[in-house]
Amino acid sequence: MDFLLSLLEFAFGRQEQVLEALAQHAGYVVSVLVTAGVFAIVTGIVTRRNQLARELALSIASVFLTIPSLALFVIFIPLVGLGFAPSFIALFLYSLLPILRNTITGLDGIDPGVLESAKGMGLSPLQVLLRVELPLAWPVILAGIRVSSMLIVGIAAIATLVAGGGLGDFIKSGLARLPLPNSLEAIWLGTILCLLLALVIDLILQAARLATISKGIR
Amino acid sequence: MSEPLIRLESVSKSYGSGAEPAVKKLTLEVEKGEVLVLVGPSGCGKSTTLRLINRLIEPTSGKIFLNGEDVTDVDPSELRRKIGYVIQQVGLFPHRTIAENIATVPRLLGWDKAKIESRIDEMLELVSMDPETYRDRYPKELSGGQAQRVGVARALAADPDVLLMDEPFGAIDPITRDRLQNEFLRLQQELKKTIVFVTHDIDEAIKMGNRIAILREGSEIAQLDTPEAILSHPADEFVESFLGSGAILKGLTLKKVRDIDLHQVPTLTAPVARDQALQALQDSPDQVAVLLDDKEQPTRWIDEKALNRTSQPIEKSGRPVTVNLQPEDTLQDALTTMLQSSVGMAVVTDRKGKYLGCCTIESLAKLIMSEG
Amino acid sequence: MSTVSPNLSSRTPLSERLDLIVSPIFAVILGLIGTAVWLYSDIDSITEDILAPEKLQRQLGETLVLGFSSSILVILVAIPLGIVVTRKGFPRLKNFLVDTLGLAQALPAYGLIVIFFSFMGAGITTVIFALATFSLLPVLRNTIVGLEQVDKSVIDAGRGMGYTSRQILMKIELPLSVEVIIAGIRTAIVINVGMSALAFLVGGGGLGETINSGLKLDRGPAILIGAVMVAILALVFDFLSALAQKYLKPKGL
Repeated sequence: MDFLLSLLEFAFGRQEQVLEALAQHAGYVVSVLVTAGVFAIVTGIVTRRNQLARELALSIASVFLTIPSLALFVIFIPLVGLGFAPSFIALFLYSLLPILRNTITGLDGIDPGVLESAKGMGLSPLQVLLRVELPLAWPVILAGIRVSSMLIVGIAAIATLVAGGGLGDFIKSGLARLPLPNSLEAIWLGTILCLLLALVIDLILQAARLATISKGIR
Repeated sequence: MSEPLIRLESVSKSYGSGAEPAVKKLTLEVEKGEVLVLVGPSGCGKSTTLRLINRLIEPTSGKIFLNGEDVTDVDPSELRRKIGYVIQQVGLFPHRTIAENIATVPRLLGWDKAKIESRIDEMLELVSMDPETYRDRYPKELSGGQAQRVGVARALAADPDVLLMDEPFGAIDPITRDRLQNEFLRLQQELKKTIVFVTHDIDEAIKMGNRIAILREGSEIAQLDTPEAILSHPADEFVESFLGSGAILKGLTLKKVRDIDLHQVPTLTAPVARDQALQALQDSPDQVAVLLDDKEQPTRWIDEKALNRTSQPIEKSGRPVTVNLQPEDTLQDALTTMLQSSVGMAVVTDRKGKYLGCCTIESLAKLIMSEG
Repeated sequence: MSTVSPNLSSRTPLSERLDLIVSPIFAVILGLIGTAVWLYSDIDSITEDILAPEKLQRQLGETLVLGFSSSILVILVAIPLGIVVTRKGFPRLKNFLVDTLGLAQALPAYGLIVIFFSFMGAGITTVIFALATFSLLPVLRNTIVGLEQVDKSVIDAGRGMGYTSRQILMKIELPLSVEVIIAGIRTAIVINVGMSALAFLVGGGGLGETINSGLKLDRGPAILIGAVMVAILALVFDFLSALAQKYLKPKGL
């Protein structure tokens, strides 16, 4: 209880710093989700008819997830320097697989009869994609985006090791000052804020789910 | 009268308090060697009743006896090893070969290896599957019908006295289902197991059952009797509506062609002289004769018109006999064959194809009417 | 580096084969990059010191110990736990776990290691426990999912033929879920090997030391070679787990 109070005291004593780290962290998540989301969905659409291309894209995306985060964060430093850039690239690569996989699964899972009848009514392939396939696959794609978002909230804490900022800053500074006063508070604050951020993002995605998914398939 | 093999005594099963019980005070006896079919609308508790017998579901109250012994007193797993169990989804173990699947209960019972091996082949042959071909295959390589054959073989492997079957042919296409049903009836004639068979299909119930229990909600028995008795004297409106229309047509599956007084039309044995054939036709009230080959197998329907067409030899005139009935076929088969036949009657032969006589609509009607 | 399990429903023969081809190719490419950097970039005495063979050897050994111990710890805890919560009588606990596991993915491994350090002090055991806690989720979740996806009619048939509960678990449920469970273990192993690169933060050693020295002393080649080695190690373990997954799954599936 005492610790909780001192944790709160610590957090509210540095509101500006906390908000900045949160904004950086959330900035990673949002920018990565948007770019990787578009990239993965487009890749999924383009490759879905060719089995080899599809499986190859999935395999490559899953190799990115296999590479340890520290390695992926630092491996681009010689090319792009420290800070936002290497962190963004690493998080981008990490978030591809869940979205790509769910895009492919979602598009695959559509009842062929529905597609047949859409074609039969004279919709062009693009219209079928935009009006039938994507809306029907969207719940599955969104679930993939959700998995990716949880994933990168956690991993983005590493960005601090390559001077990329974010909530990891608190963990790093806390660790550096252990066992001085407020060091534990800093470590816990960084970790807990990651979970809270994930919770908020999850809620937002839930709301997006309710807002964007047709009632007929919810 | 002998002690029934299975006896349910005022058995109830309810899930949670307040809810209507799935089985309400059911008392039921199954005689040794009979097929008792439990049939009823979905949700009437028939599957629950079946699963109470091998204690996959524990009764809330009441007693269940097997061979006079209260099954609630014995270890449920040991009990189940003595009872064959066949379900609609088959439930073959996908990670085991066909042989290993069939060996399941014998292994549990600790049979020695050689005995199990020979039993596996015996069981596969029993369900008309070639042991050489199928022993080492995996379930995913089987069709639905084959899978259920293996399911039956697996259930019979340890030679249980009792077999519980829960819609065993429900997920199989109609043609294969018909064949499996017939094969199963043939098997049962040999094996004389005591079988409790659950289905929602009244036609299947009439075909398979020695006795039928028609159940309504709460597994309450609406009528329990032989198929004949139920068809001719439905106990109440519920039974009547469950039987649906055409009870007489359904009854056609109960009688066999051998029960019919066969009608004799003139027969001609090849080779025949044309005038002799004409004479035979004119002497008979029938407009048609059956041409037999040298093995007394019917080949063609011959009428006057065909005989008058002298451009063709008699052996090639008239219409070919395409389908033969055999004494074991049901009256339903007979009716179908007759309606499809060009002359309105069907030829009946013995198993080897030797001509026995003809079956006509009149002879069929006479048999049905005689039942009253 | 994820708690995401490989997609179970769509494992086709092709994807299984690619599984075994693509990661070795990546490993080779990374190896070539590392070698090229080692051969063609300016390696000063400081970089040479960071990359001294005896140091790398020690760090590699530490990484392997960390990866192995934490993976075994996870297997010993998560699989029995998964089995227990899928038995009858624990539906609430199970649902709670399944719900929580999704969010827990957002837990930063970095924070977790440091928090364990603040309780347990420096050293290898701290890192092993932190890693095991972090990689518990995929194994636990895959154990639960694996056991639950077993066809209920197969279990019903087994029960109906007289298998005891233990026999059903050992002879039906576990064999039929082994592929899914191993997929979870595979994810855990990759996480453990990968996250052990962070062990240096709390005095647990490992190949992360090389990367860290490179960062601190601003030696690009050292950073790159360290990262390449960590990545190759993870890819090798992923490949070995994929092999295990392929050969341990029962025939007939």
